Amino acid sequence: MKPIITVEHLSKYYEISHQKRGVDTFVESATMFGKGLIERFRHPFSLNRAHVDLEEFHALEDVSFEIEPGDRVGIIGRNGAGKSTLLKLLSRITEPTRGRIIMRGRAASLLEVGTGFHPELNGRENIYLNGAILGMKRAEVKAKFDEIVAFSGVEKFLDTPVKRYSSGMYVRLAFAVAAHLDPEILLIDEVLAVGDSEFQKKCIAKMNDISRSEGRTILFISHNTSAIQSLCKTGILLKAGKLAAAGKINDVLDLYQKN
Amino acid sequence: MNGESEEHILIIEAGRTHSRYLHDLWLYRELFLILAWRDIIVRYKQTVIGITWSIIRPLLGMIAFTIVFSKIANLPSDNVPYPLTVYAAMLVWQFFNNTVSIGSESLLNNSNLISKVYFPRLIIPSTSMTVSLTDFLISAIVFIPLFFYYRVFPNWRIVFLPFFIFLTAITSLGATYIISALNVKFRDFRFAVPFALQLGMYVSPVGFISSVVPGNWRLLFSLNPLAGIIDGVRWSLFGTQLYLPSLVMSAAISLLLLLGGYFIFRFMEREFADVI
Repeated sequence: MKPIITVEHLSKYYEISHQKRGVDTFVESATMFGKGLIERFRHPFSLNRAHVDLEEFHALEDVSFEIEPGDRVGIIGRNGAGKSTLLKLLSRITEPTRGRIIMRGRAASLLEVGTGFHPELNGRENIYLNGAILGMKRAEVKAKFDEIVAFSGVEKFLDTPVKRYSSGMYVRLAFAVAAHLDPEILLIDEVLAVGDSEFQKKCIAKMNDISRSEGRTILFISHNTSAIQSLCKTGILLKAGKLAAAGKINDVLDLYQKN
Repeated sequence: MNGESEEHILIIEAGRTHSRYLHDLWLYRELFLILAWRDIIVRYKQTVIGITWSIIRPLLGMIAFTIVFSKIANLPSDNVPYPLTVYAAMLVWQFFNNTVSIGSESLLNNSNLISKVYFPRLIIPSTSMTVSLTDFLISAIVFIPLFFYYRVFPNWRIVFLPFFIFLTAITSLGATYIISALNVKFRDFRFAVPFALQLGMYVSPVGFISSVVPGNWRLLFSLNPLAGIIDGVRWSLFGTQLYLPSLVMSAAISLLLLLGGYFIFRFMEREFADVI
């Protein structure tokens, strides 16, 4: 079987700016101002470059891997290791600097629960809005509407603007919509950091269910080791933008925890 | 998903301006509709008089302009009641003005979407036009009592009205695409746009008719695409003179603006998620 996702030599660089050291004297600051003006005159449309040093930051560097259909992959690494950047590239939010990704299936990304929820709209309206943003057709949302509402447990508040929801209700409704997406590939970033433990368990169970019964491929980022262990079969360990390990989830987690 | 057996292959690569953009726009048409619907119903939430605002604003503008330009400055109006002349232009102007002012901020207001999900970004500034179009259509209802009050009725020329509305729409969209895209990176536009729009109302024939502009200035005046469009609207509603070179120029500039806007937007779009 062909891999559902192939990532080849993927790199993403960002330009980050550092403020130059502070100016000490009036003369120095005046020269600085003058230089700034000249610079501005030469490149009228660039942002203030005279005062900043630009540095290339390698968020991801030459990462390659393959994912088979039906795999549930945990992406592990410390803060800043490039996990979220990887997911952003896979979900087409931003373009890679180098390398390429081949995807053989429709992907939906869930980088934040409740993306695009509008505070002024009520629960019912937000289900449709959020569904459309995540790539569902109106008919699809309609067909699953009752299921979504039942899963979220906010039946009573469907006609209340979500700005009056408690944060728990908000998250439950948001996750409920996302859990009823059906793409072949689901990209999930740290969504379980929110909600109480009971709801987290419900979410993990739902994701397990989706992927087992329908052979869905899932890529999952989390710092919650037990959530990853219970959901994922394989893992990818990123370290400072590079691929450090890939393989069985327990081996990868061991390696991660040793360092 | 359900029984779709065709293989769906997507290649994501550095610098690939992906060729299926227009196809994607079509695929995401439901998102466009739902965002448009969201913007329309959210616009007047928590206001007391709601959508009536879209009538009151041009109406008050009309009254003020009629007093200033007709009663005080004594400008001619080609034998059309002055309030009617002003109201027609005011609606066109507000359509343009609202599209651009809502649209130029639209990407920033939806930055959470841009940094979290993929869709053709062009959808966002485009929905701002549906909001102002709704306002436009509602405020146009006021024409009915005005026509009866002044006993002035449009003739067959009114069939050309949709063409002029279409021209207004593409002019506004073109401007919106350019400004909204630039606004993502250079927030200077946030300050420049309201000011430019205020100025624009006075260089467009909103409070006066184009024939009061001296002949040798006329062509320069017509570089503003709204000048020709407003003349056209007045021609189709009241049968006033139409200065053809000005209209042709307006149409050409509108089209250029739309195309230019589209390409500038596409060019800047690639780094939206990184700089917003």
